Amino acid sequence: MTHAALAASGGASQCGWRTCIRRDAGACKRAQRSLAWSLADPPGSACSQGRATIAAADAAVVADGLTRIFDDATAVADVSFEVPPGSIFGIIGPSGSGKTTTLRMVMGSIAPTKGSVRVLGDEPLRFRRQTRERIGYMPQQFVLYPDLTVSENVDFVGSLFGLFTWRRRGRVKDVLRLLDLWDVRKRRAKDLSGGMQRRLELACALVHEPRLLILDEPTAGLDPLLRLTVWKELHRIRNAGVTILVTTQYVGETEECDQVALISEGSLIALSDPNGLRRAAFGGDVVEITTKATFDASVLEKGPQVHEIRQTGLREIRATVDDAGEGLPELVDAINAAGGDVEAAREARPTFDEVFAELVERHRRELAQVPGEPRDPEPPVEQVSLPPAPDPNAGPLPGPPSVAADATSASEPEEVPHGAA
Amino acid sequence: MGLLKALNRVLALVGKELVEVMRRPAAIVSLVLGPFLVLAIFGLGYQGIRSDLRTIVVVPGNQALPTNPAQYQDFAGPGIRIVNVTTDEAAAKAELAGDAVDLVVVIPADARADFEAGRQAALRVVMNQADPVQANYASFLAETLAADVNRELFKQAAAEGKGYVVSVGGQQLASIPPEVIASPIKAAMENIAPITPGIVGFFGPAALALILQHMCIALVALSVVRERRSGAMDLFRVSPVNPIELILGKVLSYGFLGGVVAFLSMLLLVGVLGVPVLGSLALVAAVIGLLLLASLGLGLLISVVSDSERQAVQLALLALLASMFFSGFILPIAEFTQPVQVAAQVLPVTHGIRLLQDLLLRGSIIHVWQVGALAAIAAVLLATSWVLLRREFRPT
Repeated sequence: MTHAALAASGGASQCGWRTCIRRDAGACKRAQRSLAWSLADPPGSACSQGRATIAAADAAVVADGLTRIFDDATAVADVSFEVPPGSIFGIIGPSGSGKTTTLRMVMGSIAPTKGSVRVLGDEPLRFRRQTRERIGYMPQQFVLYPDLTVSENVDFVGSLFGLFTWRRRGRVKDVLRLLDLWDVRKRRAKDLSGGMQRRLELACALVHEPRLLILDEPTAGLDPLLRLTVWKELHRIRNAGVTILVTTQYVGETEECDQVALISEGSLIALSDPNGLRRAAFGGDVVEITTKATFDASVLEKGPQVHEIRQTGLREIRATVDDAGEGLPELVDAINAAGGDVEAAREARPTFDEVFAELVERHRRELAQVPGEPRDPEPPVEQVSLPPAPDPNAGPLPGPPSVAADATSASEPEEVPHGAA
Repeated sequence: MGLLKALNRVLALVGKELVEVMRRPAAIVSLVLGPFLVLAIFGLGYQGIRSDLRTIVVVPGNQALPTNPAQYQDFAGPGIRIVNVTTDEAAAKAELAGDAVDLVVVIPADARADFEAGRQAALRVVMNQADPVQANYASFLAETLAADVNRELFKQAAAEGKGYVVSVGGQQLASIPPEVIASPIKAAMENIAPITPGIVGFFGPAALALILQHMCIALVALSVVRERRSGAMDLFRVSPVNPIELILGKVLSYGFLGGVVAFLSMLLLVGVLGVPVLGSLALVAAVIGLLLLASLGLGLLISVVSDSERQAVQLALLALLASMFFSGFILPIAEFTQPVQVAAQVLPVTHGIRLLQDLLLRGSIIHVWQVGALAAIAAVLLATSWVLLRREFRPT
């Protein structure tokens, strides 16, 4: 389903690519401008399965089984992904997880030990100059010239990427205005703040109007406000039709990407859109229910929508359902039927730190499995042993177990009115 | 279009290098104006006059010889300054040991008697020199002094009409003047060089060649290493720039800077220090151009083999030291052993010095092969740098 079709249909609720839906008008205008790309739902998303997929020929980057071994150490192992054109594709993982190595293979700086990659249709190791001119690159560190002014730096990089003077002048002005650097264009790069230096690098990567922008940790070392500014710029650039391949070690920035490849210890552990990742981590939507009085969740049975029920407090229950829209009412009904009285019910949105931790942990478990041996059984419904009924004359109730409390507090609850649920 | 874009990239690199250098006043002072000032101070400050050796004359006590230094000064001539005449040899040596004087000349007890008896009398010259150059100079002056004493003895004897010099082959020579009898042959020096050699005139072109080489090596080596360290080289690797364009950018920008410094230095040498330009200015410019090219090649080579600024600086200094010792700047190349002489030919400045001295001071190039050698050095160094840089650009 293309963006345009998605917008036209209005039936976006089934689409896993919620980022796309939220961006509605802007995203669809972009899609209309580049219909030729036939941008489809990302692979791995709910609506992509069995429906439209991105043809490899159309993808800006196609990595297939990328592996890089340095001496004895495997930096990247069998990583495959496709970057849809006109999207922000994030490679996310902690420091040393293999993000930059992957990026360098995409850029052609290093050769893969195994596997292949194609960028804008070319193999990076044999990039033609014309292909290089269509790629913008922003390295992880500030590599520009501190003694040159802001505009001189941008002008220099523009020349390197094939812009002649008559076109460069206008482009330098445009890009500096776009990134709010026009007022400091005569300031030397060394006199800029860290955030401005990152924006200057971004300006340099953009000056020649690349079709593919490759950014290596553009937000590293920036304060949260500046990080937001950088992402705002990236969205604006993406909306102008540029494909962005970006790495970041801030897991929370997953939300900013249209599609994400999670990398840990050199391996791709998940590839999906942000909501798809959440679902992949927890097996569905996560809902939280609070009852008015103590309620024993062990009396509840899993239904067609409900996969996992977990007692997280005396009055708190957390469950994984297929779809929050259908599963939450089903669960509320079940609690009511079991004699409980629901005070609040909501869809929880686990933070991407939690999502990432869950996926990494699962990946490690899978790696620990000896081939041929049966996998670990699905974790059972976690139960919290209930204390005796509280004495009304006693003091305050003891708190819930600490793990559950942490998990709950780390979540980003999305309050859903009881009635709506 | 491809060629135009390549030109566009090269010009961008040239502009970037020039602006970067201009934005660093300290770099301009230390690497561009510094050498220029050193040359000016050298030319204006060097007197070319060796100070006289302070000398004590020890006369034998039994001959009642005069003890007035002025009388001996006339006799000793230039280069030696008689500060005292004494009969106490031990005291004179003590002063020599304390570095109060440079020489002690001990007059033989009775030279004339020895001469008449058919023996050579020894005129002892005592010095306390660790510097071989100074020791050679003192020895030369002592030899000259001994010859002068001999001549004086002959003159005195001839004037007194002694029979031992009045017949040669049976011919009476009494009518010949005593000074001719004492010195029948005298040296008459003639220099066929077009100009009278002077210290500044001779060393000026050599200093210019050395300065240009060092400036080029240091500037280009540091520039590339800095770019590698900052990560700019990674940007080049993923950009459409290729190693040839990068090298061209460096060579043109720093070649231009070197040309400006060479032009200013030539103005100083010719206009202020009075160094003549007997040869063609076009040839001088061509030789300087080749020297700059070869030096930039050496700088590029240093830059591609260095992994840090410190290493690049060390290698640049090593090149400077080697150039000072082995290029003929201070010591003649012919005084080294054959292998070192061959190795010296690898240094661009070896040929640069000789070619510039020939062109400026003699009016023509004497060893034309040196032009070819300089061009070959430039070609080999630039080609090697290109190969190594190309390897650095390749995916790892």
